[in-house]
Amino acid sequence: AAMRSRAEVDATLQTAKLNPAELLPAVHCLSFGPQASSGECCLLQLEPGLCAELEAGRSLVIRGEKDEHAVLCSKDKTYAMKIADTSNMLLFVPGCKTPEELNADPASCNIIHAQIAGFSKNYWELRRCRPKLKKLRKLLMEDPYEGPDSRKDQTSTFSKYTTEDLLSLIQASEEEILHQLQVIDACKIEGYWRILDFEYEMKLLNNVTQLIDSESWPLSKVPLCACLEELGSLEPQEMIEHILLSYGRKYVDDAGEVFFEMCEDKICRAIAQMLLRNAVKFNLSEFEEVWQQSVPEGMTTRLDQLKGLALVDQSSRPETIFLLKVEDLPEDNQERFNSLFGIREKWTEVEITPYIQDLCAEKQTVGALLTKYARSSMLNGVKVYNSRRPIS
Amino acid sequence: LSSSGTGALAQWVLVELQGEVEPRQSGGLAGSLLGDLHYTCEGVPVLIVGHHILYGKVVQLEKPFAVLVKEGGAPQPGPGGPQSCYTVTALIKTKLLFKTRPKPIITHVPKKV
Repeated sequence: AAMRSRAEVDATLQTAKLNPAELLPAVHCLSFGPQASSGECCLLQLEPGLCAELEAGRSLVIRGEKDEHAVLCSKDKTYAMKIADTSNMLLFVPGCKTPEELNADPASCNIIHAQIAGFSKNYWELRRCRPKLKKLRKLLMEDPYEGPDSRKDQTSTFSKYTTEDLLSLIQASEEEILHQLQVIDACKIEGYWRILDFEYEMKLLNNVTQLIDSESWPLSKVPLCACLEELGSLEPQEMIEHILLSYGRKYVDDAGEVFFEMCEDKICRAIAQMLLRNAVKFNLSEFEEVWQQSVPEGMTTRLDQLKGLALVDQSSRPETIFLLKVEDLPEDNQERFNSLFGIREKWTEVEITPYIQDLCAEKQTVGALLTKYARSSMLNGVKVYNSRRPIS
Repeated sequence: LSSSGTGALAQWVLVELQGEVEPRQSGGLAGSLLGDLHYTCEGVPVLIVGHHILYGKVVQLEKPFAVLVKEGGAPQPGPGGPQSCYTVTALIKTKLLFKTRPKPIITHVPKKV
């Protein structure tokens, strides 16, 4: 189609009975560009901060495999994507100027031929969501590291993941993924992220705690160098350091020497897990006795160290305790609650909190989750929560 | 999806209209005219489309849009598809909203014989 001329524009104005004196001199003649109907362009509504990130040149990534809902990830946040319909037609027009821009530039063209690049009745909406990190642990558990002597590692690189691999498979931002790797004590071995096989991990921990005991080092001041020297013949240095980092807090003293302040809670918790995984459940008082005897000299065991790891059944006689790890439970809110209520019909808030805490969105409380997914009642003067619906 | 990398992102404008956009002639929309967009001296956008005048307003978007272009040419950017590559072509911070009823332009029609 031929481009409109000033004469044609003026003729239209006259027909429309509009007074050119009341209008800015510039006119945009809008036409549809060659690719307008192709549907290749779409709109994404940006949450606060994302616009600035794009303008700063940073990338956003859409992640999701066939069976997953797509999420959008910035450098450090994850958003769920949803299509929003409007009843209106949205046209996207490059080169279209606002009145302000026209007024600011007195030399602006009289006729601007603007081509509509595309149009749509809908756009993508974003909602900040929890990163989907359960898959991360699942992937790394496909091939836990059993130590340098293990035959497995030498034969294949099957099921081993680099940072790039994880970025393409996990629906979360890079920062969220790297943070989670730290939380689960993953380590990089030969460029691949690995989780230690639990027994191997306990073996390493045991080497360290026995050494601490035989050297009579204070738990708050375990020297790195000495550990590497004494244990270097038994285990790779990187593994010794990794176990110290996992179970202690690294610091440097005034003389520049590296020490670790061992984390009593985490060590006691790991030893409890080691004991509990050997049977379906244990007599509580027997367990507590064995547990205290099993931890390093100077450490005190407490049941609250086992939040999110084990559950006490106070209704059984005698009372029992069994392993229940929050990381083994479903990631989806409704599925998590179904699972918990399937394990136990009624929970107090104190009992259930460690098992739902990780579901809380930014600024959401455990109380809000309970209100939404559970029903409360009183049992022997104590407030308990049960399922909203019958569990099949 | 990342910005095209060649410096600052282009700023486009969104034009929001009621109803459907249909080609006047057969052969699709490409290349066909939509209409003339004017602004009054007060900055009110006026769109003349066919025999209608639409009055609108300039709105600064609270949540700007990014315009995504899909590489690979498939028509729908769906959540279930294999990983596709999108590029941010432009940002939209302003829209021209035409929600008022179009005023018909009454032209002088010669009397039929």
